[in-house]
This record gives sequence, C-alpha cells and structure tokens, in this order.
Amino acid sequence: MSTTLGSYERLEVWRDGHVGWLVFDRPDAGNALDATMFRELEQAWLALDADPEVRVIVNTGNGNAFQTGLDMVQVAKDKDALRVVSRQTRDFDLRFTAWQVGVHKPVIAAVNGICAGGGLHFVADADIVIASSTATFTDPHVSVGQVSAFETIALIRRSPMESVLRMAFTGRYERMSARRAYQLGIIGQVVDPPEDLRAEAVALAEKIAKNSPTAMAVTKKALWEALERDLTDACAAGAKDLAIMWGHPDQEEGPAAFAEKREPAWTPLDHGLLDARPEELQ
Amino acid sequence: MSYGGYETLIVERQGHIGWLIFNRPEQLNAMNNLMRDELADAWLELDRDPEVRVIVHTGNGRAFQTGVDVMEIATDGIGFERYRDSMENFDVHFTAWHQHVWKPVICAVNGICAGGAFHWVADSDIVIAASDAQFFDPHVSVGQVVAIEAIGLIRRMPAEAVMRMAFVGKYERMTAQRAYELGMISQIVDPPENLREEAQKLAELIAKNSPTAMRQTKKALWGALEAGLTDACKNGATHLVDMWGHPDQEEGPKAFAEKRDPDWAQLG
Repeated sequence: MSTTLGSYERLEVWRDGHVGWLVFDRPDAGNALDATMFRELEQAWLALDADPEVRVIVNTGNGNAFQTGLDMVQVAKDKDALRVVSRQTRDFDLRFTAWQVGVHKPVIAAVNGICAGGGLHFVADADIVIASSTATFTDPHVSVGQVSAFETIALIRRSPMESVLRMAFTGRYERMSARRAYQLGIIGQVVDPPEDLRAEAVALAEKIAKNSPTAMAVTKKALWEALERDLTDACAAGAKDLAIMWGHPDQEEGPAAFAEKREPAWTPLDHGLLDARPEELQ
Repeated sequence: MSYGGYETLIVERQGHIGWLIFNRPEQLNAMNNLMRDELADAWLELDRDPEVRVIVHTGNGRAFQTGVDVMEIATDGIGFERYRDSMENFDVHFTAWHQHVWKPVICAVNGICAGGAFHWVADSDIVIAASDAQFFDPHVSVGQVVAIEAIGLIRRMPAEAVMRMAFVGKYERMTAQRAYELGMISQIVDPPENLREEAQKLAELIAKNSPTAMRQTKKALWGALEAGLTDACKNGATHLVDMWGHPDQEEGPKAFAEKRDPDWAQLG
C-alpha cells in the first residue's frame, strides 16, 4: 500500500494514500542532524511537496527520540563536513525544515520522544504538532555555550513567550512534558498510549486530506506570511491571498459535493498559483 | 551582600543571584518618584555587577506591585504631568527591558499584581508566582488608559486574557492558577512563603548556563519582537554568530564530557 519515495541514508520517506511521511532515521544517534541529514531533508521536503498524490505531510522519528538537533559528535570530529550548514546559519539561508524550503502543503509534526535543541525547529516550523504522552521538550543550547535563536524565535510567535524563555534559559536542567506543551498550546494533541502516535497522526492527516488542497495551500501562505508583518499589513496581504482562490474550480466543487452528499473531487494543487512571493520577502 | 543607597528598594546579591525587591510594603509597593529613579539605577547596578548572572525581582509585603503611587499623584499638585514628557517620548527606565538588561530576569510575583505592576511581568523573561498571587488591571476603572504594559503582554500570551483584564478593570481578579494555564507564568509556588526559596533555586539552575550564550539568546529573542519572522531570524543569526569562537563553546562540551560543571567566561 505504501510507496517508498526516493532513497535516503538518514530518512525514511514514503507515501500512503494521500499522506506523505518524512521520518528521521538515525535512531542510534537520537536522530541528530549531521551533514547528510541536512542535505537529505531539503530533498525530501521538496519531493513530498511536488508529489501530486501527497496532500499532507507527517514528520516523525524512528526510535526513542524525535530529534535532538545538531550532531555534536560530528561537530567535535569533522567540523568541515558542516561547513555548508555553518554558512547557511550565518546567512540564515537554512534549508532543512518545511518552512525554510517553502513547502505549500500542511505539515504535521508527530513528536515521538525527546525533542531537544535544534529538534525544536521541526516543531516551530510545522503547522500542526501532536506528541506522544512520553514526549519531552528541552533546549540545552545555553548549557553547552550555544545561543538559541531561530527555533525559539519562531516558537515565541506561536506559543506563550514566557514558556519559551524559560526553556531557553533553564537549558538542559529542565524538560517540558507533553502535557504542559498541550496546556500551553505548543501542541494540539497528546497521544496515549504513546505507541498509537502514528495511527493518530494518520487519522488526523486523513481528515485534513479531505479538504481542498489549493484552499489549504493559500491559507497556509496567508497565515505564515502574517508572521512577517504587523496586523493591518498582514490582513491587507491576506486579502490578496483570498482573492487568489476566487474563480478556482474548488469553489464550485465544494458546495456542489456538499449538496449532492458526496466527497468533493478537488483539483490538484497548482504550485504556480502560490509562487508569487511578496516583494519584501524576495 | 547588599547594595546600599536605596530607600524604596532592597537590592542584594546571594551567590550569583541578584535580587531587586520593591520595599514600600505599606503602600503596596506603589511606585513614587523616588522608586522610579531608584529602579533605573538598580537594574543597571545589577546588570553591571560581574558576579550577578541572573536577577530575581519580587516585592515585600502582601503586594508584588500596584502601579504608580496615586497618593503622590493626587496630593503634590503636579499630578501625572510630571510623566508627560517621558511617556510621550517613551523615554522610561524602570524595567529591565527599558534598561537593556541582558541577563535573565525572573519575576517572582508574591501577592497582588495590579495595573502598572504588569510592566515588570511583561518585561521579565521568566515569571513565577505564589499560589495566592492575584492579577488585575484597574486602569480603566479609575479613568486611566492602559497601554504599554498590556501591549507587552499581548506579545507574550493569549490576547483575550489581556483584553479581558484591561476592560474588566478592578471588578475581577485573575488567579495564579489561570495565569499558569495561560502561560503567563510557568510555576506556582505553594505554600506561598516558599516563593523566594523556589525563585533562588530556579535562578541557580539558570546560573549554571553560559552567561554569554544567555545574553546572545536574550538579544535574539527580545529583538524578534521588533521584526517580522524572517527578519527576526536574520537578526538572530547575527547574535548567534557573535558567539562563534567564544571560549564557552569549547568549555561547554568539554565539561559535559568530563562530567563537571563548566567554568564559563565572564560576560565581556
């Protein structure tokens, strides 16, 4: 039933129905990000976004950890391997999360265990986040002399800031539980027992996959670009995004299917509709 | 040790933890002119002391803080006019954020937190509270506008809760429990008398981390409130890259490998 998409060393990427899967696959290393995984992540996100059969993407990890950030072993032993990532960090030209590479489809992060440091990138840059009841969140950067910036900058846009500052400054000396993350709205669902996480992610993804791919992509564009602007400007830009959808066949099909009590046959997503980026973001 | 010369505040240091304590308990720690001036000095004194790594801010008595001293405003014939220039130019200096304090600041709310008190909640990094703390904003109930502190708050917590406080005024109080649920605070201390002990403990945990990495992180995150997401990340990259090559980046992993506490460089 599931179709493997491409071949990767550090990831597993497949499609099952309309759901695309991007799974970190370095379970022996806490799924830490090494140079290979950084490179493969960009390819995998872009491949899933381009695949017309994929309507929703689920991102999770194999093993006990979801993601534990930059591979400190590689940092210690083979800094040269990370030269590209260092340059991308300096210029904020990173290309390893869905947001960074401009994925148009809804992304669900399914946090299956510890999510530490750079692992928070994949929480901050997902649309929807769910977690197993045993998942924990921590940001050890300052405990090892590193600055926490991009992940926490994005997180304070989507969660109460105090909780993010507390995570950033307590470092490795505190972990946030899945339950607390749920209370704070950092995640939207806690899955218990933890082994049901993928099944729940599928159930959620399949609900989302029933919606108009184009309407979701334009909605995603409007909401993420709103994080770039003050309220009035964001609404003005959002109004232009709304108008992208006017006259689109899905706007006929949705009400027609509803009236006829059948599932809508949506038009495949046309990425071209979305690629007009606002000038100030170019 | 205690830093001398303050009448309305107690300013002291316990180990690496600096304490800034409102000390007008009879006036529920309301801010008069003198306190306003002393706050400006106290934040800078603690920020400049190289022994201080984390600052805790709390109040003596049953209130944390209750805003500006309305008695002084009402009785000395100058009224709010004394603050017109500084407010119109937003040239104010009584919170850690106003004073560009880049050390982590923990606000420990020990009781009533009303009106102008939200300046210090909004401008702290971490906020904890005693279980009997109460939060409310009476500005509009006495014909005053609430602006700056509520603007700060809606950037860091659900806006509805802030709007509700702003418009219900003195007729409703938010509990510590609700503030915790909303993520306005991250810890409730019960019994309330353990607040300072818990604050010191939390501060000591934080003081184990690299002072320089924390300063750069704080600059990146507070700076992020000033820009759109992409620009904030670009600005954040500058703060992040400033840390590259800093001795703490060698010391952190080394200490971890040797199973000892890191010996961090002093803030430069």
